Amino acid sequence: MDNIITNFASSAASSSEKKDILASLGIDWTLLGLQAVAFLILVWILGKFVYPVFMKIIDERQAKLDESVEAADRARQAAEESEAKVANEMKKARAEARDIVATAKSEAGQLVEKAEKDARTKADHIIEDARAEIDKSILAAQKSLEKDTLALVKKAAGYATANIADDKFDAALIEKSLKEAK
Amino acid sequence: MINYFAASDVHISLAAEEIFKLGPISITNSVILGVIGSLMAVALLFYVANKLKNSKRNFLVGLVQWTFEGFLKQAEEVIGDKATARRIFPLAITMFFVILVTYWLSVLPGVGSISVDGTPLLRALPADLNFTFALAIITLITTQVYAVRKHGAFGNIGRYFKNPFKDPVSAFEGLLEFVGEFSRTIALSFRLFGNAFAGEVLLILIAMLAGYFSTVVLPFFMIFELFIGFIQAYVFFVLTIIFTALALITHGDHDKEHSPAVKPMSVGQE
Repeated sequence: MDNIITNFASSAASSSEKKDILASLGIDWTLLGLQAVAFLILVWILGKFVYPVFMKIIDERQAKLDESVEAADRARQAAEESEAKVANEMKKARAEARDIVATAKSEAGQLVEKAEKDARTKADHIIEDARAEIDKSILAAQKSLEKDTLALVKKAAGYATANIADDKFDAALIEKSLKEAK
Repeated sequence: MINYFAASDVHISLAAEEIFKLGPISITNSVILGVIGSLMAVALLFYVANKLKNSKRNFLVGLVQWTFEGFLKQAEEVIGDKATARRIFPLAITMFFVILVTYWLSVLPGVGSISVDGTPLLRALPADLNFTFALAIITLITTQVYAVRKHGAFGNIGRYFKNPFKDPVSAFEGLLEFVGEFSRTIALSFRLFGNAFAGEVLLILIAMLAGYFSTVVLPFFMIFELFIGFIQAYVFFVLTIIFTALALITHGDHDKEHSPAVKPMSVGQE
């Protein structure tokens, strides 16, 4: 193995002075140390002046993202709460509406019933009044008819008896006629 | 086959090659391209950060921001604890961007082909084991630091070394875990190095074999290399995060959750 690597190594590396494997590979501890120190200095410079700028931008963007996500969560929560509130209100309103409709129906039924009752009572009264009125009219008509009949009978009897009957006779005759008429 | 390449002018070196010396420090071809790539990565990130600060966006800014955000989210999901994930994340994401840019630079024409005295002037940084090994060691140390902070020094040692007379299976498992820490580190560094090195060699070989047709053939391989570069950078990032998550889970968690990547763990919520 050592032989193969040495074969591929440079002529300088394979010279008699550098026979060990590390020398063949070009390992120079001084140079290696210097390169390591130089690299660490580079890391320090970049870590001090460059990377904080990148980190700050990343952090700011992350903070904005977190804030947006939080705001979106809050908005979603508020929307859900509003939705629940609206649903609750709607439920209440529906229940109230149902109550109102039921009350209205019941009141309307009662009103209709009362109106019907009143109307019926009123109609009965009207009918009764009308009947009484009719009875009165009949009675009056009967009395008037009786009077007229008496007058007619008197008149007729007067014509029939002419000079035969006197007033006494007339009266008796009228009374008889009336009784018959009844 | 190897003789054929040896006969031709292909220059393949497993190790990064020295271009010049800066005092006692050897500046290799990978270091040159690595510095350029790292500066480009830093410039890109500063540019994007500046644009973001001023709320001026374009496609590039959006792409980098999207990548950053996606990876951060992934790290938080894998580690589970947001605070811990954000502490480890700068290291992991820097690894991603640096590996990505330096890997992608290896596709540029001239890398591996422009040479000074026979030595290529530029070489991809991930194709240098020094760099990949350095990153892997940093990952190992970081995970251990977080493990000690989480479990305490003795608690962390207790994860690896258990009484074999009391619970031989757990003791053996602990030993495997201890060896695993080192094998992970080596695997992490060699995976990236191997891919980057192989990619670079592949491009050189295709260019040589295709000759004049390389202008037609190479772009396909370059696109493939860009894809591999992204995958390798991503793998390094993910493994760094997973190793950290593994180091943070307690033994009880480990019994329930064998893969932190499958289900996020509640590290900080215990």
